[in-house]
Amino acid sequence: MYNVFTVFRKEMYRVFSDKRLVLMIFLLPGISIFAMYWLIGTLIQNQTEAVQSHTIIVYQENMPGTIQTSLERLSELDEPINMEFHEVGDLDETALKEKVREGDIDIVLRFEEDFDIKIDDYETAGAPELSIMYNYGRQNSSFAYTHISSVLNQYQASKLMERLEDPAHHEIFVTSYAEGIVDERQLTGQGFAMLLPFLIVIFLFAGAMSIGPDSIAGEKERNTIATLLITPIKRSEIALGKISSLALLSFISALSSFVGLAFSLPKLMQMDGNGVEYNIYEPIHFVLILFTLMATVLIIVGLIAVISAYAKTIKEASMLIMPFYLVTMIIGLLSSFGTEPSDQLLVHFIPIYGSVNFLSSIFVFQYAYLNFVAVMISSLVYTGVFIYVLTRLFSSEKVMFQK
Amino acid sequence: MKSLLVNDIKKTFKLSKKQQKIEQTSDTKKIALKGVSFEAKPGEIFGLLGPNGAGKTTALRCIATLIKPDSGDISVDGYGVQHDSNEVRKRIAFLTNEMKLEDHFTPNYLFRYFSKLHKVDPKEAEKRKEYLFNRFGIDKFQEVKVADLSTGMKQKISIAISLVHDPDYIIFDEPTNGLDVLTARTVIDYLLEMRDAGKTVILSTHILNVVEKLCDRVGIIIEGEMKALDRLENVQNMAKDNSLETLFFELVEQSAVNEHV
Repeated sequence: MYNVFTVFRKEMYRVFSDKRLVLMIFLLPGISIFAMYWLIGTLIQNQTEAVQSHTIIVYQENMPGTIQTSLERLSELDEPINMEFHEVGDLDETALKEKVREGDIDIVLRFEEDFDIKIDDYETAGAPELSIMYNYGRQNSSFAYTHISSVLNQYQASKLMERLEDPAHHEIFVTSYAEGIVDERQLTGQGFAMLLPFLIVIFLFAGAMSIGPDSIAGEKERNTIATLLITPIKRSEIALGKISSLALLSFISALSSFVGLAFSLPKLMQMDGNGVEYNIYEPIHFVLILFTLMATVLIIVGLIAVISAYAKTIKEASMLIMPFYLVTMIIGLLSSFGTEPSDQLLVHFIPIYGSVNFLSSIFVFQYAYLNFVAVMISSLVYTGVFIYVLTRLFSSEKVMFQK
Repeated sequence: MKSLLVNDIKKTFKLSKKQQKIEQTSDTKKIALKGVSFEAKPGEIFGLLGPNGAGKTTALRCIATLIKPDSGDISVDGYGVQHDSNEVRKRIAFLTNEMKLEDHFTPNYLFRYFSKLHKVDPKEAEKRKEYLFNRFGIDKFQEVKVADLSTGMKQKISIAISLVHDPDYIIFDEPTNGLDVLTARTVIDYLLEMRDAGKTVILSTHILNVVEKLCDRVGIIIEGEMKALDRLENVQNMAKDNSLETLFFELVEQSAVNEHV
């Protein structure tokens, strides 16, 4: 163990004594994640605000007063929707279409003459026509259509009720909703389960990928590995020292990304003021998450270390790792957009997928301790296999020295 | 048994397509060693002489446990390189041009790091560091990163670090390569000092002058075969004019003729 610790310490010192590496591995991931998500959040917010603050330009013909009044009332809402009404006047169909396409007009509402009178005299006059023109390729126009069509639907519903003179006929059926079923924590947890397991594996993999190839393939490329192999240290001790140091460094790197994410999440989820409710989780959940992360990072680092030892150069190692990174991303995405996390024991023996699935189940409070044990044991077994393979690779003159 | 024994070692390498192009051959294998044997004893410097590509470095790498011979035995102090490789590594210092030190670290850090891997007592390691750094003139540069040092200084640091554990067997492959005259002299003087201290020194070189100045016994290796092996004066006597140079060229020519036939 003494030699493992010596190699471990040297690997840690190599990174921590290099300002460039510290910046690249520990600061940049957090800063870039924060900047990226904060920017996305800000852009979404700006876009929403821009659409909401926009005054909708409505061109109308024969609009009944009741409908216009209802539309004007939208400006009295907490998040007001302002409209500016214009008469269609002399503009013909082609001119109107062009203006809607160009965004000069958001929506055109052309009601048949005496629209509301004809609705009231429906038995003799038949259904009057309303022609709507909007551009669903433009956000302002789509926004205008959404709100105006909702007012029109309400108008239609009220007119239908008027036709049914007996108030008893107004109600087709009564709906009642049982209360107290939804678990608010579970509801919030679903949001985390969608986003975090995916990001967790990506951050862990990205962290390991930025250090692993340099630590092992780099030593081969720079011819420093032979200097280490000539010392009386077992190859298994080198493998353990490398994997344990890489695991810790990757973990810290991923942690940096999480700090960036934690700070940018309120902005990203548009939760200004209230913040994100991390406090729905109890200490036991954080302990389970921490252990699952450690188990996952060991598998990822083991895989990267084996590939790096096999590769002749850093470039080759990075190239060989890429397909595994893509597979890991897909596994992460499956948990984000798939169904509810599986509670089957066997699933938890699948490397990385089992961990991602278990993380999802923690976030939605549907975890089983047996599955946790499965994740831990299987991860240790996989890591053991990687350490064994890495030891063999360090012992192979063909792998270590062939150019 | 205090000696280093190499007994009939053979080694073949598979050639990659890239290597086949470099070597201008269609052979997929290269026989690097064709049954090489020799013995190096305490208190002597054994010189392995041969042209480039003769198999000197391969033989030394086999002794150093970095690569395994296809057949034959090597033992250091009675420990076999195949089964007791860790015991062998505890007893040897090995240096070749292909072994580098990590650029990011300082000589000071690296000396301590390798001392720990060799399990040298920290106080003893500090004493040795002080002695070796002074001996090779590294002391002024001990806190300068290896990347910022000259080629000669890097070579001297490599030598000092290979000796952290005060090994009984010193195996240096072309140790004066790329060194200026003054630095080369320091290295040669140190090797002589080690010999006088009873250490076993094996030196590989293609520089005849170095062999004549330093070695007690010599082996001439050409095309993976040991063509001559004896005390230096006996090997010199094998040539008509008692010159190592004449013998060396005769053996090289003879080998080329045999290969052609």
